[in-house]
Amino acid sequence: MAEGVVVARGVQVELGGHPILWDVDLTAGSGEIVAVVGENGAGKSTLLRCLAGLQSPAGGEIDVLDGPPVDEARFWREVALVGDEPAWYPGLSTREHLELMHAVHRDGRLTVDEALAVFSLERRADLHPLSLSTGQRQRLSLAMALLRPSRLLLLDEPERGLDTEFRGRLAAILRDYATLGGTVVMATHDLALADAAEAHLITLESKA
Amino acid sequence: MNPARAYLRSRGRLPKTWSDRYATLFGLVLVIALAGQPIEAALSGLAGRADPSRLGAGLALIFAGYAGFLVLARTLGPVALPAADAAWLVLSPLSRRSTLTRTAVVLFAVSTVGGLALGVALLAVVGAPDHLTLRVAAALVVGVATAIGGMATAVLGQASPAWDHWVQAVVAGTLVAAVLSAALGGGPGRSTLTAVASAPSAWVGAVAGTAVVTAAVSAWRAWIALDRIPAQRLLRSSSRWGRLNTAVTLLDPGALTWAAEENRWRGRVLRSRRWPRLVTGRWAGEQALAWQEWRRVGRRPLRLAVLFGTAALPAFAVQAGLSAVAAVVLLGGALAAAVACTAGIRRDADDPTLTRLLAVDPRAALAARAVLPVLVAALWLALGLTGLMSVGALPVGVWWLLAPAVAPALAAGAMRMARRRPLDHSMPVIDMGAGAIPAGPLIWALTGVDLALPAGFPALTALVERPADPRSLIVTQALVGAVVLVAYLLRAASRRS
Repeated sequence: MAEGVVVARGVQVELGGHPILWDVDLTAGSGEIVAVVGENGAGKSTLLRCLAGLQSPAGGEIDVLDGPPVDEARFWREVALVGDEPAWYPGLSTREHLELMHAVHRDGRLTVDEALAVFSLERRADLHPLSLSTGQRQRLSLAMALLRPSRLLLLDEPERGLDTEFRGRLAAILRDYATLGGTVVMATHDLALADAAEAHLITLESKA
Repeated sequence: MNPARAYLRSRGRLPKTWSDRYATLFGLVLVIALAGQPIEAALSGLAGRADPSRLGAGLALIFAGYAGFLVLARTLGPVALPAADAAWLVLSPLSRRSTLTRTAVVLFAVSTVGGLALGVALLAVVGAPDHLTLRVAAALVVGVATAIGGMATAVLGQASPAWDHWVQAVVAGTLVAAVLSAALGGGPGRSTLTAVASAPSAWVGAVAGTAVVTAAVSAWRAWIALDRIPAQRLLRSSSRWGRLNTAVTLLDPGALTWAAEENRWRGRVLRSRRWPRLVTGRWAGEQALAWQEWRRVGRRPLRLAVLFGTAALPAFAVQAGLSAVAAVVLLGGALAAAVACTAGIRRDADDPTLTRLLAVDPRAALAARAVLPVLVAALWLALGLTGLMSVGALPVGVWWLLAPAVAPALAAGAMRMARRRPLDHSMPVIDMGAGAIPAGPLIWALTGVDLALPAGFPALTALVERPADPRSLIVTQALVGAVVLVAYLLRAASRRS
């Protein structure tokens, strides 16, 4: 399976005997943005967890970057996942969380100052993330993911908490990422964001 | 009674009957009858002069305990309400004082009990050379008055920032008094302390009277100030109490650590700085992650100073005549010091989202994060050993090497403690013959200690037996410590705790 960065065929997931995903196919190539949409409980986040190697499917095949996804450092060096809000490190400011990412990945896609500017966090740079609003913390999560180098971005509802104006800007940021050869798979409820990002839509239907 | 409370009471519990009151009274009489005899015997045993060699250390421990009492009261509020009352009554037009009356009564009761313990401890240290009844009564009165006065000052501090500065000044003054007592007790000032401890009974009565008047004035001012405590502070302290209550109810102390850290950093403006060159570079990813803990610890210099200040406790224990526990205090204190530097490890174990985003190797990250707990434990031990040498409990010399030898073992225990799984309440209850013990909390409490204790056994043996030449035990400890730490790092990266 070498036709895409992400190839999922016939993915099946059951939780507690209930089917969550049934025969789901997804392919995303280099420079492509795929938006997974569907109502609550349709299995969007579950599919993303399967693509990230955090959940084993009951059936089907998943191939990410020429191999099965595994929760290991070598996999995460190529893949950046933004899902639920992370537990921020105590004692570090917003800027220092970005500094940490930059220190770990010297050859980042953005400098810390650029990341603060792109995600409109300059005026909150010296506050601990817990002092930020929900939307600002989501921007910080996205900034950390986009500052570092990666080949695949997995985003679970990236629009969460973001204002309308920034959602438009996020679409442009994701388009730029894809233009440089990156692949984006995002689960979203915001069709306008998916449309603005020029994403290929995959609709999941609830099995309940 | 507050009309809201009267309404809630009318809709809730049944009113107390004569039978309920009888049961309460009977219970109290039973407690007094059962506890009266041993308490009387214990107090009678305190008759006699104080031991001058233990006076300084004993007073230092009492001052340190009182400072801890004030810090705890200030940290938790002290005035707080249950979650429902905080949500519905604080922001209502009801009189704030009437809303807080029940809390005030609880604080008064807690202060009284704490004060009685303080008074007994004071009497145990200074002794009662004459007029036993008067001195016992005076010590208890001074203890209760001091505790109530301290609690009242903490309440005033909650109502006004100016008073809060006073509370901080009292805490600082009490800690200085603890240090002075310890210093005087170990040197030429011992006679001064002995003179104070055997002051004439008239003076003791005067001190007790002054303490009562001061406490009464403070308590009255605090009662008046209850009306002025800002709603925001009440809600914040109530939320803190709520978390404490949840942690105690669910027996999950780990939740408290998170809450304390989050409270500490929320709303603070930090001076952002770049990562130092030493821990950055192409092959320095995990070292860069570990620097987070160094920066967090460095941002709390006062906490660090207090942490290293507690390294004097083993020496105090020896001076207070508790030589048998000094070794346990030394190793336990160093383990606690190492645990204080594992917040990042705990966070990564509880939620690996950021480590995945940072794409660091778990084994290398854990190894990089181990450096700080090892260094802090070694430094704390070196200070503790210095204290023991200064009071003559250990000879000066090769014993210093015990610090770097045992620090890796304690750091491994601290890391295991930080990475332990949440408490499992579904585990079975173990019948130990003398009583049933729930396995979940037991395993949770022992995780970490179960590694540190056997890994630090050569050091413990050396400290308890105090051989003339401890070199073989120190070398054994160094080897065991290094092997345990390396084995833990190799094994822990693949699984939690």
